[in-house]
Amino acid sequence: MSGRGRLLLLAGWLLVLAGLGLLVAQRLKVGTDLRSFMPAPATADQRLLMEQVGDGPGSRLLLLTIAARCAPRQHRATPGLFPATPCAPLPADRRDAALAGLSRGLVAALRHDRRYSQALNGSFDLAALDSALLPYRYLLSPTLDTQPLDEAYLADQLQQRLDDLSSPAAGLLKGLLPRDPTLEVLKLAERWAPPAAPEMRDGVWFSKRHEALLLVQTVAPGFDPDAQRQAIGGIRRAFHALPGSALAQLQFSGPGYFSVAAAAQTRHQADWIGRISSLGFIALLLLAYRSLGSLLLSALPIASAALAGIATLTLAFPQVHGITLAFGFTLLGVVQEYPIRVLSHRRAGEDALRSVRALWPSLLTAIASACIAYLAFYASGVNGLKQLAVFTIVGLLAAGLSTRYLLPRLLPARVHDVAELRWLALARDLVDRLPRPRWLPALVALAIVLMLILAPGPFWQNDLAALTPVPAPLLQRDARLREALGAPDVRYLLILQAPTAQGVLALSEQLQPRVDALVAGHAVDALELPSRYLPSAARQLARQRKLPGQAVLQRELQTALQGLPFRPGLFQPFLDDVRAARSLPPLTPQRYARTPLGQRLAAMLVQRDGHWLGLATVSGVHDVAALQALGAGSGGTVRLLDLKAASESLVAVYRTRILEALLAASVLLVLTITVALRSLRRTWHVLAPMTLATFLVLAVERMAGIEISLFHLVALILAGGLGLHYALFFERDTGDPAEQRRTLHATLVCVLSALLVFGMLGWASIPVLRAIGLTVSLGVAFHFCLSILMAPHAKPDHARQD
Amino acid sequence: MPLSAVASGLEAAPATATSATQALIASLGRPAPARTAFAEARFMHLLERPLVVSGELAWLGGNRLQRRVEHPDAETATIADGEVTVQRAGRPARRFSLQRAPQLQALLDSFAALLSGDAARLDRAFRIRRHGDAAHWTLVLVPHDAGVAGSVARIEIDGRGKRSRCMRMQEADGDLAVDLLGPLAARMPARPTREALLALCQDGP
Repeated sequence: MSGRGRLLLLAGWLLVLAGLGLLVAQRLKVGTDLRSFMPAPATADQRLLMEQVGDGPGSRLLLLTIAARCAPRQHRATPGLFPATPCAPLPADRRDAALAGLSRGLVAALRHDRRYSQALNGSFDLAALDSALLPYRYLLSPTLDTQPLDEAYLADQLQQRLDDLSSPAAGLLKGLLPRDPTLEVLKLAERWAPPAAPEMRDGVWFSKRHEALLLVQTVAPGFDPDAQRQAIGGIRRAFHALPGSALAQLQFSGPGYFSVAAAAQTRHQADWIGRISSLGFIALLLLAYRSLGSLLLSALPIASAALAGIATLTLAFPQVHGITLAFGFTLLGVVQEYPIRVLSHRRAGEDALRSVRALWPSLLTAIASACIAYLAFYASGVNGLKQLAVFTIVGLLAAGLSTRYLLPRLLPARVHDVAELRWLALARDLVDRLPRPRWLPALVALAIVLMLILAPGPFWQNDLAALTPVPAPLLQRDARLREALGAPDVRYLLILQAPTAQGVLALSEQLQPRVDALVAGHAVDALELPSRYLPSAARQLARQRKLPGQAVLQRELQTALQGLPFRPGLFQPFLDDVRAARSLPPLTPQRYARTPLGQRLAAMLVQRDGHWLGLATVSGVHDVAALQALGAGSGGTVRLLDLKAASESLVAVYRTRILEALLAASVLLVLTITVALRSLRRTWHVLAPMTLATFLVLAVERMAGIEISLFHLVALILAGGLGLHYALFFERDTGDPAEQRRTLHATLVCVLSALLVFGMLGWASIPVLRAIGLTVSLGVAFHFCLSILMAPHAKPDHARQD
Repeated sequence: MPLSAVASGLEAAPATATSATQALIASLGRPAPARTAFAEARFMHLLERPLVVSGELAWLGGNRLQRRVEHPDAETATIADGEVTVQRAGRPARRFSLQRAPQLQALLDSFAALLSGDAARLDRAFRIRRHGDAAHWTLVLVPHDAGVAGSVARIEIDGRGKRSRCMRMQEADGDLAVDLLGPLAARMPARPTREALLALCQDGP
């Protein structure tokens, strides 16, 4: 090709890539909600889990601490960083007062922010009950269930209020007294306070470690890291805007924060490992081919693969999941082999196009079979895996076709033929002299079976938490805060089901005595039922009927007031409220939803598929069986949802889908390879080492005590794709020793570069990255060794043979 | 005199009460725990006649204060660590934050500062005025903090020489609490009026 033609082609290619890049930049929407990546739920519990994962009250709860940093110093070596050495703390009383002030300031700032449905710090605020709803207190409070508003009760209450007025609490009650002499509002406040409230200091919650404690419920779902990042950012900004916040440190815990922290940590570690291994990769290729031009050009098929893949996704799907992209880029690691094969197989003085043509049948077989393998993912029916399949198949085709038809036309004419390298000739000689024992496959197979049988621990890792790892210190802190705040357990949820919202509330009321017995018996620390915040309409009406008429109440009050110094007419607001309460329609969840407490109820009362569900949160579970017994005999209207068990069953379903898809892929792979090679014997030489190596990785990892997760499976698939290349090229017998040397060179470069990139990942501290790194590295090593040892010997006239 | 003491004295001078007032407050100081008998009459707009209780007030040092009522019913209230605990025989203790009881905050600020003779602390919490002479004096304290001032308009303390004898807390809503301190506590009338108590505090023997 002429120099000018080459330049035009290069410009055209770059232009197409730029166009694809522009399309991606404009259309790509990356979703982070885990639900869109998971398979569709099959059981009721799984469906609830998928909803609960995002919408449940527990997953949207952020646990906050505000701790004193230390007194300001004159010398600030590194502003913005935590001081490395402990510095003089504030005196205890001033510190607590300052932290309490920040806690109050933060709650005040968040209360009017639409991103948060609740912000609590322990200070009771009468504003929580809308003043227009105040007469409802007689319908909401349980007082009337056991105690009529008669003369004896009123007299006792009024005498107590008189005592209160002479006590230091007078200032608190003075304003409330004329309207609420029996203090129903305070009874409701106590009822709605968290079941196991932490220590109070300066009017707000404090932990034993002198941190102010807060609970914030976000509107955004807990497992959407992007939305959670915004919610957390909003809290941080509100906090830093408070005067004196520089002296304190705000820390977060809870599922939402974990999803943000895990994503950030994984990205951070993957980034720096990626930077180091990229440098190594470039150095390796420069060393292997001594041509910067070739190196730069060989990046084009890889870039084409990535851009074409994403561009297709943006056209085919409204939103692309972040995990799809991460998995997809991992799996596309295979395409780096295509240009390497071309570069290694070039001969001195030969047109690059001719080298590629000689190579193409094997390469095409590899690409076609890999595409077929990923088709199985498309058939899995899981949205995330479908996207993964589209991304990978388009990527493989783009890389393969551009390597075949575009790259060779651009490569510089002058090359040095690797076949002439002395060390390579020696290495090929060594490889050829290696024994190829016929019993090797049987021995390896036996070893695999033995290892799989003897391996310790469970085979599969089904815990979703293992997919999004949270550092142990953070988990410990979360457990500590959760216990201190009595915050609900994220694992268990008691589900109440009824055709109507009122039905759920009535069911909840029925359960209350049994739940109280469980709490008293220490089976569970607390169980918060929806009826705690809103009694059923029936119960409200029953209480309403117990309210005395205006004349009766007035007479009883008059008698009760005898001999007491209260000013005449003082309690008119009380009489008015009782009269109002007698004619109120019962408070409904809809009406209640407009108040801060109603939002809390709304999170516990949801409509699904034509019926209503009450989600009762549980904290401190000690006896799961006793909790499950609550549902016995309820006919399924009451049941304990174990979110962990449900999520694990979901992962198991997911894995089954992948394994089924893989089985189908394997059958297709055997057919494709057999058709392509037109020989069962050759097919055996290609697929046997690949299959054995795949199972060997599985067996070795199991023997090392590793439980196999989805990430291991994905990594095994990638390694299998790479192994297919090794076996295909080693099996390809051209009868030309120089060409065999080139094959060895190409394979060595591929193996080394894969070991470099994935070996680095294997050292990562994050389980996801380690799982991928370790599995691919082991896979590459086993595939390489087995595909050499199980390949047929080269023809006798080119190598020594017995 | 060390230079720093001179400097801090100079800095403090414009904002603080006069040196005579400071000297007076300093002379009132006593070592913790300091206890004094009290009798309190509370005039409230909710009630037709004042509530009268008596007992002992104790400053336990730092930010801790105890108010023990003996008549008519036993009740102990303790302020410590920003929290108020009210205990009555046969009832569960009632706890609440000092933050929610500005009257108690004012009581703590004034009482603890007076009993420790800490003029600087008193100055931080209140604007201070003094009437009378060293023998017959009245301190008028107006809270700086807007939250406290919203419920406590002012506190007036009457004294003779080195002893305080009366504390009157005027609340923003018109309610008034008069505490007779020390020996004067024994002279609380059976049916007190605002006028009678004022006369007793300022002019009585």
